Amino acid sequence: MRPVPSAPIVGPFADRLLALDLPHLDPARRRDTVEFVTRRVDSLPSVMHLGVLVIATVFRLVVATPLADRFVRLMSHLALPLLGEYVRLVRSLGYAYIWESWPDTQANGASTPEHIR
Amino acid sequence: MSVDRWPAPSTTVVTGAAGWLGQALLHRLVADPARQRIRVLVRDNTEADAVKPVLDAAEARSQVVVGDIANPRTVDQLFDGVGADCDVLHTAGVIHPQRIQHLFDVNTTGTEHMVTAAAKAGVRRFTHVSSNSPFGTNPHPDDVFRADEPYHPYMAYGRSKMQGELAVFAAVEGGLDASIVRPPWFYGPFQPPRQTTFFRMVRNGKFPVIAGGHQRRSMVYVDNLVDGLLLAELTPQARGKGYWIADAKPYLVTEIVDTVGRALRDEGFSVKDGALRLPALAARVAEVADGLIQGTGRYQQQLHVLGEMGHTIACDIALARVELGYDPTVDLYEGMRRSIRWCVENGLEL
Amino acid sequence: MSGLTASMPRLDAEVLIIGSGAGGATTAALLAEAGIDVLIVEEGPWVDQGSVTPFSLEQMDQQYRAGGVTVALGLPSIAYTEGRCAGGGTEVNSGLYFRPPVDVIERWSAQHRIRDLDPDALSVIAAEIEQALTVSTVPGRTTPASEILRDGAAALGWQHNEIPRWMAYPPGGDAVTGKRQSMTRTFLPRAFAAGARMIVDCRVDRLHMAGGTGRSAAVTFADGSTGVITFRDVIVCGGAIQSPALLQRSGIHGYIGRTLAVHPTVKLSARFRDEVNVPDDVPVHQVKEFAPDLSFGGSASHPGLVALALTDHWKAFSKSVVQWRQIAIYYAAITSEGRGWVRAIPGLRDPLVTYRLSHRDRQLLRSGLARLTLLMLEADAEEVYPSFRGAPIVRNRADIASMQQAFAVSKASVMTVHLCSSVPMGELPGRSGADSFGRVHGTSNVFVNDASLLPTAPGVNPQATVMAIAIRNARHFISSRSTTDTRSTTDTRNIKGHHER
Repeated sequence: MRPVPSAPIVGPFADRLLALDLPHLDPARRRDTVEFVTRRVDSLPSVMHLGVLVIATVFRLVVATPLADRFVRLMSHLALPLLGEYVRLVRSLGYAYIWESWPDTQANGASTPEHIR
Repeated sequence: MSVDRWPAPSTTVVTGAAGWLGQALLHRLVADPARQRIRVLVRDNTEADAVKPVLDAAEARSQVVVGDIANPRTVDQLFDGVGADCDVLHTAGVIHPQRIQHLFDVNTTGTEHMVTAAAKAGVRRFTHVSSNSPFGTNPHPDDVFRADEPYHPYMAYGRSKMQGELAVFAAVEGGLDASIVRPPWFYGPFQPPRQTTFFRMVRNGKFPVIAGGHQRRSMVYVDNLVDGLLLAELTPQARGKGYWIADAKPYLVTEIVDTVGRALRDEGFSVKDGALRLPALAARVAEVADGLIQGTGRYQQQLHVLGEMGHTIACDIALARVELGYDPTVDLYEGMRRSIRWCVENGLEL
Repeated sequence: MSGLTASMPRLDAEVLIIGSGAGGATTAALLAEAGIDVLIVEEGPWVDQGSVTPFSLEQMDQQYRAGGVTVALGLPSIAYTEGRCAGGGTEVNSGLYFRPPVDVIERWSAQHRIRDLDPDALSVIAAEIEQALTVSTVPGRTTPASEILRDGAAALGWQHNEIPRWMAYPPGGDAVTGKRQSMTRTFLPRAFAAGARMIVDCRVDRLHMAGGTGRSAAVTFADGSTGVITFRDVIVCGGAIQSPALLQRSGIHGYIGRTLAVHPTVKLSARFRDEVNVPDDVPVHQVKEFAPDLSFGGSASHPGLVALALTDHWKAFSKSVVQWRQIAIYYAAITSEGRGWVRAIPGLRDPLVTYRLSHRDRQLLRSGLARLTLLMLEADAEEVYPSFRGAPIVRNRADIASMQQAFAVSKASVMTVHLCSSVPMGELPGRSGADSFGRVHGTSNVFVNDASLLPTAPGVNPQATVMAIAIRNARHFISSRSTTDTRSTTDTRNIKGHHER
């Protein structure tokens, strides 16, 4: 069984989540990060991968609507079982990648100017 | 083992003098002629009457102040003219209150008033009697609280006593020379009448034993506690420190029931075999109910005690042994026999 | 690396060893040195030590299963990691060495009826391992993050130690100068020198069984092509998740995959006045005051992992992420009463893993996190960020009370790196997956020789115990084979293999 690629399903939500969480993150960096997140989701073990895709599909549908930002904010504040785990997974992967790749990123996603590093 | 010790101070201030520990302490202080002046705080005239017999033996050395420790004026009066060669033994505390607020009035606010007044008076040593309750319960039956543990207060009593400790440590930062003793469950002479239930439950084979009784409990015979308290008062090195003061080792709950039963029999009482065996769930339910009731500001002693019975509360007295030279001499069997005799002598029905 | 062999649709070996970690590599070396024709297959790639940054995401990509994102489902779920590369977990773990604990070995021997499991004999093997892996303490300075554990524990009077590692240090070298003596540097080269062959990027899908006898292994290579490897005996060393899953996929249904044991951990990040973060190394000190129930140690703390740890309460913690150089991550690990399941699911590539914590486990995790927090304050942490959802920042002792009040294991980021006990060895009828020397009950020639065999989680970093048991079992395999070797499967292919030496 070939796994379903997650980029079209997970990507838009990950992008919205990072954009809202880290408004000053450079868009190119955000794209890199989203790409990393979807790559990791692709390599999840079977059961998790399936579970994540099911939840991600629901999220994907909502993210396509004008309610996207409100929904993403709500989901990241409510720690719902399972649904919350998905948010947590995307955020964990994204943040780990951002700060490992660009360690001097600030809490809002901005890169720290050279002179105060 | 040689530990540096101060001589007795010219003035000794005792709060909670009419309490269980307070009376045992008072007997010891009165018997020591080096304690030139003993000034005690009691809550009301009934308590003043209760300490009168022992203080009569001390005659002119004793002074009684009557009043509420939550009232700063009472505390000022207590410290009036004590001088710097003065130690404070702060045993006042409420454990089974009428209303939850009373715990905080006495255990927290009262302690705050005491350390403030003691610091102002410039006393030599302030020794505070705390509890195991600021530290909650051990995570499993083989665990033992070390000398220093993170706070995890058990219910409102634990919070009020934790805040009392924090007030003492804050005062130490501010320059007060203070030490803390932490006794677990204590037993022995001068017990309040409510404690006779304990013996009655054992006699009737109805002492609640939760989930097989594999929990362990540290206990302290009240005279062992007086030993530890006086050492924490008189040991210079104890400044700013807290010590577990308990019997030599924690006891299994089943061991406690057996030992008390044996002590009762050896003092001539009839004892039914067995205990009230309850599943772990019973203690959990009681604990939750206790928490809910406390949340409304009320207090139900039986629920509280039953809820706590499901837990291990065990502490390690090693630090007190090393730094204070504390060496508890009375064990559970001997201590219980003495308690039983005391109850009989004082006309308490077991 | 000489010894690596190209993939072919049909291969054959006297003994097929599946997996090349602490169990597989040692088994391979011993068997090859005894003159046995050995073929090792490894699902992951060969990655030379030093070619990727230790504890980095890149390393997780290359050397961990699923990039390090694997989870045992439960309430809470427990994140775990598995090495998936030549050398397995030995390439990527903390490298901390503990001799097999004597009391644990004695308990295993008695409670699981393991024949001839002698603590003294294991100690002799442990001494061999110590020599083979140059187990040593740091000659120079340990890292600042490590010294925090030491100093905090000392301030509280709690027992603590520097744990030796399988590292080779230059004379006087500091902690970060160590060269990890993992399997790709030690037992695998030894196996190759004795004639063993190895194929990497080769996954075993299932074993073909005939009755209780394994005949061959169906494999998939990196390019997606498949193959069959025939063998006389097969030794499964895929670790506590993959070994039971492979046995189940192969239709072997004994007491397998039902008793997964782990050391669950909770963690915290702590910020100090000085720069304490060393991104590519982990602390070598551990606090053993409450052992075996509870142990404290240090985790990898590169800035990505610091950010990840702060996501548990990002709103409150995020301002500190720019100070990651002053932050290090620590864990409290427990011995768990709980147990987990590994279940192969038909049609799915990976097994379903679940784990259930007991009431005691939860109490211990809470208490462990609080005690570890206290240690951090005693080591002069300015702020502590416990890793559970909505956790408060801890700056003083009163805050620890609030933290414990707010804590629930279900909100915590619980994780583990020590997985064992899914094919427990012993002679308990119906309660042992493999016999006293690792032969899977109900089979004649299928063996397990990895962490799956340990009857419980040992309460310490398990690699040395895994290796010692593997060596013991490998020696038993060799000796029992030489006495009963009347089967005539030693055909020309093996003779050829030996002559190559």
